Amino acid sequence: MASHGVPRTAAAAVRSEEARQKELHQIEAYKELVELVNTKIAERQYTLEVLASVTTLLNQNPEYYTIWNHRRRILGALMQTPATKGEGSGGEDLLLDDLQLTFSLLRKYPKCYWIWNHRNWILRTAEKSTDLDRAHHLWSGELQLVGKMLQADSRNFHAWDYRRFVVAQLERLDSSRISASEQVDPTVVKWLESEFEYTTKMIKTNLSNFSAWHNRGRIIPLLLSRQGADDRTRRHLLDEELKLISTAINTDPFDQSIWYYHQYLMSTISPGCPQHRRIALDLTNHDRQKYYEHEMEYINEILEDETDCKWIYEGLLDLAASYLEVDGGTKAFTTRDMRSWLEQLERLDPLRCGRWRDLRQKLNI
Amino acid sequence: MPTELRLHVDQHVRYIQSLDTRKGELEYWLTEHLRLNGLYWGLTALHLLGHGDALPRHEVLDFVFSCMHDNGGFGAAPGHDAHMLYTVSAVQILATLDAFDELEARVSGGRQEIGQYIAALQDLETGTFAGDEWGETDTRFLYGAFNALSLMGLLHMVDVDKAVAHVQRCANFDGGYGTSPGAESHSGQIFTCLGALTIAGRLDGVDQDKLGAWLSERQLKNGGLNGRPEKKEDVCYSWWVMSSLAMLNKLHWIDGTKLATFILQCQDPELGGLADRPGDMVDVFHTVFGIAGLSLLKYPGLEEVDPV
Repeated sequence: MASHGVPRTAAAAVRSEEARQKELHQIEAYKELVELVNTKIAERQYTLEVLASVTTLLNQNPEYYTIWNHRRRILGALMQTPATKGEGSGGEDLLLDDLQLTFSLLRKYPKCYWIWNHRNWILRTAEKSTDLDRAHHLWSGELQLVGKMLQADSRNFHAWDYRRFVVAQLERLDSSRISASEQVDPTVVKWLESEFEYTTKMIKTNLSNFSAWHNRGRIIPLLLSRQGADDRTRRHLLDEELKLISTAINTDPFDQSIWYYHQYLMSTISPGCPQHRRIALDLTNHDRQKYYEHEMEYINEILEDETDCKWIYEGLLDLAASYLEVDGGTKAFTTRDMRSWLEQLERLDPLRCGRWRDLRQKLNI
Repeated sequence: MPTELRLHVDQHVRYIQSLDTRKGELEYWLTEHLRLNGLYWGLTALHLLGHGDALPRHEVLDFVFSCMHDNGGFGAAPGHDAHMLYTVSAVQILATLDAFDELEARVSGGRQEIGQYIAALQDLETGTFAGDEWGETDTRFLYGAFNALSLMGLLHMVDVDKAVAHVQRCANFDGGYGTSPGAESHSGQIFTCLGALTIAGRLDGVDQDKLGAWLSERQLKNGGLNGRPEKKEDVCYSWWVMSSLAMLNKLHWIDGTKLATFILQCQDPELGGLADRPGDMVDVFHTVFGIAGLSLLKYPGLEEVDPV
């Protein structure tokens, strides 16, 4: 009912009588299977046989959420009863089968909420009936699955959401092993460190991957605070990130993702940034000015070669506004500069002329 | 706008009317899990087109009531489990058809029952909402709960402050919102979060300039809107992005004429309906959100839509 990217001509072609008959048969077979599963469930026949029919049905239609609910009803019942000989499926085996099923379905339907949701349920359920080491093994296996999903589509937000969830579970398992008295917690930090590295890898593969930039910005303050990082370490990381983004801007100043990460870094410097989102904690307004000046300086250099890139002018205007927030005396630029950047925005980006008009009024220039 | 481009109202009305006559297509059966949503989308599109009576009222209501469960929730179709997503569509249809009295006539205390079903899905610790008893949480469900409860005048049944606090925890540096705290900003999710905050009268915590700027950058050169940075355009964002901009009073931050042209290009001029992009297969989901986008752009002849 919501189709994406399917060309109209192919689908609207007139069907031959043969094709029509074939479709009617498919419909009959499908409706029979639906009827069978729903009847058996209504009779509470929570058996391996019905589970197999459910599998067939879900392979045909993974969006049918009620059938996923039925599947969990059956699994719940089967796990309560001890495995009988002949059938031989222990609770964990059943759940492992479902990991396989959801994996193959996710490869085909990577954006189907219900499949991701079921996988999440399998893991949570499996954890309840196993020991800590085994639970750890199961959850860390999920990182490989997500890795494969993100390899296929590096922007899939279901996969990124699930990745964050999995890491949170691994941190929870690890911290339950560690005594509460310890200040810095090396194993818990380990996950965030490797996630940080993962974003580096993803960004290096594709600078436009804002999902990776987003996750990086989310991880940094968490990581620093868990590490108990001192002021020097924090400043060092901020400077490294600024270096990284300036290289990226130099590489492709027309890419939105890169400028949003630049905005993110600038937002952590702003005096209005909440403590828990800051990278450096000891910035004075003088430091802030220095940062803003430095950014403006190299962005102005890029401007010399790229006079038609609107993001440059927007970046400069943002920096100017931030600069004015911490210092009234404009030393790094003039009102005239600001006016000319705004004029360039109006020239290069007429789609958003209403926004530039409002901005002119707000800046009062 | 090129003069040959216009809204094919009659074709769209016929397309929506035809949706329930497609039982000879496998797709009809494979999409049964969306039936109640589809009905709401179709009905809304018809109302915006000024043909609200093009679907038989009585049959629509019969179908809606046949999806109701004893616990007050609704499934996608008869025999499908209750879920927030369909409960919201049911309430929206009842509100559109002004049919809450009929609800009470058929199910005494029905409004209250629906309210209780929704309220029970709130997580009292975090303030967010689950979709059903299986526990998946998402800001989509929180918005749905607020929307349905406010339509029934029952918002007091839930902890609004806690839910608002949860939405605020989903805010990102770019002013946008994601599915949950820490998730990337996404236009669809921004609509749900802004919608919830608007219903609660709590737009105060929103970084309106930053979010408005981010939303305006969703417009691409071809006039269409995308859902996140560096992604492709899609007609459905004409609704998610535009309604969000409308809630911020910043509709003028994008080029409306270019967007209208893009939406009109996504029509199937012969058989009716709108697709995600020009030349693609149409469906009722893109049809309603395209038309609703045009309505926000004050396209002539369309009824005005409420952005929330």
